[in-house]
This record gives sequence, structure tokens and C-alpha cells, in this order.
Amino acid sequence: MLSCDTYLSPGSLDDALAAVAASDGRFRFVAGATDLLPWAREGRAGDVHVPLLVDISGIPDLRTIEPRDGRIWIGAATPFQRFLDHPELIRLMPGMPDCAVWFADNQIRESATIGGNLVNASPSGDGIPPLLTANATIELAALRDGAIRRRRVSLVDFIKGPGQTEAEHDEILLGVECDTLEGYGGAFEKVGHRRSLVIAVVCLSAVVRLDPSGTRFEDVRVAIGGVGPVARRMTDVEQRLIGQPITAELLRACLVGCEQFVMSRTRQEYRKLVAPGFVARGLANAIERAGGSPDACGIAKEIANG
Amino acid sequence: MAELKIETTVNGRRIARRVDPSQRVLDFLRDDLHLTGTKEGCGAGECGTCSVFVDGVLVKSCLLPVAKVAGKTIDTIEGLAVSGEMSAVQKAFHKAGASQCGYCIPGMVMAATAALRLNPDADREEIKERLGGNICRCTGYQKIFDAVEMARDFLNGKLSATAFDELDAEDGKYIGVNVRRIDAPSKVTGALRYAGDMVLPNMLHVQVLRSPHPHARIVSIDVTDAEGLPGVEGIVTSVDVPGQDGFGVFVSDQPVMARDKVRYVGEPVVAIAAESLAQARRAIAKVRVEYEMLPAVFDPDEAMKEGAPIVHDYAPDNIVKHIPIRKGDIEAGFAQADLIVEQTYETQQVEHAYLETEAGLAYVDHDGVVTVHSPSQNITHHRHMLARILNLPINKVRMIMSPVGGGFGGKEDMIYQGMLALLTMKTRRPVRLVFTREESIATTAKRHPSRTSYKMGLTKDGRILASQVRIVYDGGAYGMSTEGVIRKGAILGGGPYNIPNIQIDTYGVYTNNTPSGAFRSFGSLQSQFATESHLDICAERLGIDPFELRLTNAMRKGDATHTKQPLKSSAMSDVLEAARTASRWEHGAPNIRGATRSDLAGEGTRPSCTLSPRAVAETPAPKLQHEKGAA
Repeated sequence: MLSCDTYLSPGSLDDALAAVAASDGRFRFVAGATDLLPWAREGRAGDVHVPLLVDISGIPDLRTIEPRDGRIWIGAATPFQRFLDHPELIRLMPGMPDCAVWFADNQIRESATIGGNLVNASPSGDGIPPLLTANATIELAALRDGAIRRRRVSLVDFIKGPGQTEAEHDEILLGVECDTLEGYGGAFEKVGHRRSLVIAVVCLSAVVRLDPSGTRFEDVRVAIGGVGPVARRMTDVEQRLIGQPITAELLRACLVGCEQFVMSRTRQEYRKLVAPGFVARGLANAIERAGGSPDACGIAKEIANG
Repeated sequence: MAELKIETTVNGRRIARRVDPSQRVLDFLRDDLHLTGTKEGCGAGECGTCSVFVDGVLVKSCLLPVAKVAGKTIDTIEGLAVSGEMSAVQKAFHKAGASQCGYCIPGMVMAATAALRLNPDADREEIKERLGGNICRCTGYQKIFDAVEMARDFLNGKLSATAFDELDAEDGKYIGVNVRRIDAPSKVTGALRYAGDMVLPNMLHVQVLRSPHPHARIVSIDVTDAEGLPGVEGIVTSVDVPGQDGFGVFVSDQPVMARDKVRYVGEPVVAIAAESLAQARRAIAKVRVEYEMLPAVFDPDEAMKEGAPIVHDYAPDNIVKHIPIRKGDIEAGFAQADLIVEQTYETQQVEHAYLETEAGLAYVDHDGVVTVHSPSQNITHHRHMLARILNLPINKVRMIMSPVGGGFGGKEDMIYQGMLALLTMKTRRPVRLVFTREESIATTAKRHPSRTSYKMGLTKDGRILASQVRIVYDGGAYGMSTEGVIRKGAILGGGPYNIPNIQIDTYGVYTNNTPSGAFRSFGSLQSQFATESHLDICAERLGIDPFELRLTNAMRKGDATHTKQPLKSSAMSDVLEAARTASRWEHGAPNIRGATRSDLAGEGTRPSCTLSPRAVAETPAPKLQHEKGAA
């Protein structure tokens, strides 16, 4: 059970930071709460008393979705469901809808936030691989010497290990800034024990841009999660493909060595089989959605089907 | 604690309350507003029994701090049936027979309502996905999906309202007629109160301290610090048992709370009743128990060996029961056999996973009758045991069966009702205990794990001449239903086959594992898994079609079972033939086919389990006003 003495829902960043500055340090930020409440149960943290809970999900800055400097800003309190129903996000973040539809379930997607998924820093966090492929940058804010200090960190540097991030205890994750990937095809592959409410054993995001004929890779970005302490971009795979025409030989060649990304402590053998399969399937789905030529789609599908 | 002032609209009614900021929306609805149609099944967002609409969007109320609904609109299951008339979804659930135990059903109805609001034309696959966050343990989901499709078609004008009506019994006969369940309206509307939904004035909340060790002597229990905490009204341990402390279905080997030693992780040691759940939990954390570790045994075959740690002094060989069956002469049978196949089979522990966790409410009435409400599957037996444990005449003990939110055998054993009786007798106040999901999984009885050694002798043409079957069942720390389970395992151990020579031995064995108890099929699943797997292996070795092998040996009318029960009828051959026809079975031994077998796919075959996500773009969830009589 999670208990608190005070639950605050500040309406501004200033108020939120002032509240924690006035506290004795025993506080936690709350956004969607979908990870926080299950954490304070038997078998995990057990009964936890946090004197002050500060709910930051109502702060307007954290709910903004807007273009910024040629990129797109997604407020940290954006629920996952928005990646399925917000027209701008769907247009500019083609790697996300497929991820969101696999995320938890219809109900939790309405509460769980993208920022929460990042600060939770689970090795299997579904939102992390697609944000890696979007070259996401994190923005953090904290009160330092009486003023708000904002700083930016790349997502790659932000997540340091399972449950460990660059954020300091009193820092608020404001949001993520991402590449706009309009015209890319995006795919998300995930495997677990059931359809809904499942922690990924392996998850993978692939986004692809093709030339106008739909036969050549102009850009390829692939990231894999669930197979090690942190999700990672598969740069070797990307480098082999960028600029190349889509052929069976090329696709087959890029799968070689994919299993090296598997560094989990458990189910290594299984994950090593899944990893190249997901790269192949992710690419095939992304090629199709990027407007691949019938030939290119056929080749990629055939490789994906083994 | 700073109270939080909340203004919200619940089922169309404006509500202003001061609430405990630690509450979840689930607690606010159930405890403060007494809207108990919203259930708690897991408390971790996994099961969906707590689904409610907040501003028209379906969410899990166990994952929602109460502060988040300030200024918002909540709709619960109670809000769907406006002025007593059920919604279309509720009527469809009633008509389709979609509710069984009913515990998941309010959440299912809410999820179905949400699915059809978001897409009034959702097909079955989309319905499945949109209900993916809600778990049902009884139905296998098919009737639930049927109901959602029925409601969809009604709302789209493709079905008339008469589709929800009950069909008339034909010539007064109800068998073969689709009769609506009498109890369904109470379940689809959330009106039915399970034990955890019941409250009484001045009721106390119970929590239990459980053993962290599999086998340890209890050196001392110190409750001094717990007693002094605010709100604590009563503490009981095994010393508070006035009568003969011991319960069990066949052997009364289990104390109400651990006596002298603990035998499994999760065994209750101390129970505390306090004014609030939080106070009871804080008090439990203050109890100090000193243990002296004992060697433990976790494998039943190890437990049967000489010198193994002894779990119960009365059974120095750790054997709960041994059931032997002997018929004919197996050695003679094996000697005549053309083929002898030997194999070992293992099955694992399984959790019942009913959506309603164990819960009970107890009080002493004005006549001094100790009364316990609980979802017990065996109240008369519990009553007799409890009278002996409490040293009360039988007319001073009353057991009332509350609605069972799923049992599957898991609620046959009296594992917590004794603690409630002791606490209500000690405090003279009503007491209630509701298990958490974690507590339910970690501490209650499971299906018996088993290890079966099978030896079968057959002729070349597939007649079974002799079977030797030895099944060791892990009974865990207490006897519970083990004796009955292994007896059933023995009686059915050879399978429904005519076998002239048979030797069966089943053993129920004590270990320091979580106790095993009753579970659907009661011991026969383990032996059937072994027998049928074994027959498939034999079919392969003999080059005989598996259906043929079974038909050759099937018990028929006039035969006798392995325990000499004459069979006045037998449907086995008919059932096998029907299955063979329905599956368009391709004749042949299991190992003659390659990738080319002809009986896969085709008409009537379900597609393989695909997990493709639905096409992704969606319209935003509509912001709904409180609807009157809508879906």
C-alpha cells in the first residue's frame, strides 16, 4: 500500500518545484501512477509511506504537444493513448502508434504517460526504442539557487541502467523533443506471454524512409529493448542498409550478428532467436508502411517469414 | 494527514467529500460511497474488475489516486442501469449467459460498454483486444464476446429487443433450451455483494502475519509493540484456540495459526484486528517472531527417503496417504507383451486464480452464535470443524456461504475462517479479512504437483496387457484434500481402458511447499496427462493410429473399472468416434505424417493465434456526458 500525508496537484511548474523545495526531501512525483501504485505492494517495495506526493500531470508545460525548432515537443504527461488518436503525433511519429497499441491495455494507455515510461527506465519499457529511433532529447527542470534550471540530455545518456536515470531526485522531466519523421514507415514488434498487459521479452522499433521508387533505403533506424539493461540503437544494422537498394542478400546480411545485442540474464537462447527475427519483421512492416514497391515489400516479407 | 477535499460527479450525482489522500479511486468508491459493484481483484491494474469511466474514458480505478478525479465525472457499473432498467450491454450479458461467478463481470460490462462507444461496429477481434485488460477465469471468454456482439447488433438496429428475451421452455422442458441465468442480473449490475463487499457497524479490519520460512520452530512471539498502537483491538495466535486446534478434509493436521512451528512460507502466525486496514497493517509490522530454522524438504521423492526432515511428527515417513490398487498379475502381463514402454511424467503446481480473493466477515450474534460469512465451498464441513476448534456446541457456530467469486476447489479448505472466529470472539466486534492478490497466490492451496512413473505392456496389435503406474503427489505442508485427490488419481490412474493386469500406487506426501488442495479434476488430471501422453508414445512405437489404439482398449458397457465398478453404460467409443469425425482426423500413427497432413486447416478450423495489433489510427475518446439509458 502506498500512503501519504499530503497529495498536491500543482497547476504550474513553479508551484511544483516550490512545493518540493519546501519539503524535507521525502516526496515523490506522480504522473500516471500506473507504475507507482503496483510498486508499493507485497513482493516489491511493500507498504511505502511517502509524506508528500506531487502530482505533476496537470502542469500545462507537461501536457503540450507542439512543433519546436523543426522537431516535435511531447510533454512528459502525454498519455500513451495520444499516440493513437492525436493527428499530429500520428503524422510526425510513425514509430509510435504501433508501439502504443501494444502498450499495456486500452485503459492503462489513458493514464500511463510517456515521461513515466522513461523515468521508470525499465529494460523492457515499450516507449524507449521508438524514442531512440526518433533521436529523442529529454528536458529536465529543477530549482537551483532560487531559479528554475532547465537542462537537456539525449535519451541515450538519460537512461543509465535498469531503473536508473540521469534525473536528480527533485528534477522534473518536462518532456521529450523528437525528430519529425513524416513520410517514414514505422513498426513495433513485441513478444510476451499474452496480448495485453505484458512485459516485453523482446521489443523492437524500426522506422524507415525510402526513395521515391520505394526500392532503396534512404534512412533506417532500429532500436531493440528487453534484451539487456538498457534499450539500444542497432547502428550496425542501420549502417549496412542506409543508401542501399532493398535486396534479399542485403536484408539477410544485416541480420547476421543481431544476437550480439542480447545481454539479458535470462532466456538468452530464446531472445537470440527472436532478435534477428524481429529485425527482419520490423523492417518488412516498416518498408510496407513507407510505401515500398511491391517487389521490395515481397522480398522483405519473405525474409521476415524465414 | 492532510485531508483532501474532493468535488466530483458520480453517476450523475454531485459529491463533495473530505477524503484520505492515500486513497485510490477504487477505495473512494467502495469505502466512502459504498459503490461495491466496482471490485478489487488484483490492486495492480492487471485484472480489470475495477474499471470505471472518468470523464467518459475507461480507466482502472485501482491505479488512480483519488485526487485525480477532483472536478471530474465518474461513472460506475451502478450508473449503467438507470432507474432499474439494465443497459443493452447488461441485457446481452444476461441473455448470453456471459456471467458465471460474476466477479469480473462489472468490469467486463464496463469494458464492453467502452468498446462499443469507441467503435459501434467493432468486430469480434477488435472486441477481444479492447477487452484485453479484463480477465475472466470462469467463462473462457466466448460467451462474453457473444454478449458484446449481441449488444452491438442491437445498438446498430440489427437485432430487436426481443433478442434479449428468454426463450420459452419447450413443452415445459428446460433441457436443451437456452435458459437465462437467474442470478445474472445481480452480477451484471454489480448489485451482488461478495464477502469483501459486506460491512457491518463497528467492523474491524484483519491482517495476518505470515511465516517467511519454509520450516522453523517458533521460539517466541512478541506482540507488545503491536498491542500499543492506535486502533488495535485484538491480537490472536495459536494460544487463543479454546478447543481442539486442527482442520483438514481428511486429517485434522492444520492449526488455525502456526503452533510451535511453521511448515511453509506464508503460514499464518499472528492475526490482528484494528479499526482500519492501515492500522492493522502497521500493527502486523510491529510483531516480532523469533524462529529457529529447521531443515526443510521440497521434493516429495526426497521427503519419502529415510532420514528426510519430518514435517509432521505423527507421520515420520512424511506420507499423508498411500492408495494401492491391484488387479491380475502385472509381471505375467509384461512377460506376454510384444512391447513395453516406460516413461516418467511431471506436472507442476497451479494456482486457481479466481478473480475474488479469499475474504470473510465474522461476528458473534446476540445469542452468542459465532457467525462467519465466507465464499466457502464446504460450509457444513467447516461448521463442524470450527465448533470443535472453538469448543462450542454446533448450534453456536453458523457458517454462511457468501457468493463465491470463483472457487475451482480453491475455497474448499477452511484456511482463514478460524482466525476470523477467534478475533470476533476476542473483540466482540464484527471483523473482516480480505486477502490481497499476492497473499492469495502465495499462501493458499494449489493443484498438486505430481511425478508419474508409467510402465505399459502391449501386444503388436495394440492391446494393453499390463500397466504399472506410480504417482507421487506433492501434498505440501498440510493434508487438506490430499487423500481424496490421490484416491481419485488412483481410481482413474489406469485410464478408461480395459487392462487385465494393473498395479497402481498413488502417494500423497508432506513437504515444506505451499499446501496442495482441491482443484478441478481432483487428482485425475495428473494421471490422465500421463496415461494419454503414454498412449500416444505407444501408438508411435507400434505404428498404430492413436484413435484406434484407444478404441481397441476402451471400456465398454458391461466392463468393470479397475476398482471393479460394473459399467452399465459407456459413451467412450461414441465420444472418440465423434471427435475423430469432427476433426477430420487423418488416419495413421503419429509419426507417419510430415508437413503434409491433410486434417489441418480447412472448414471449421480456428485460425492460429495471431497477435497482430489492430490498424492504428483512432478517433479521440469522446467526452461523454452522463448518459441516460445509453449503451
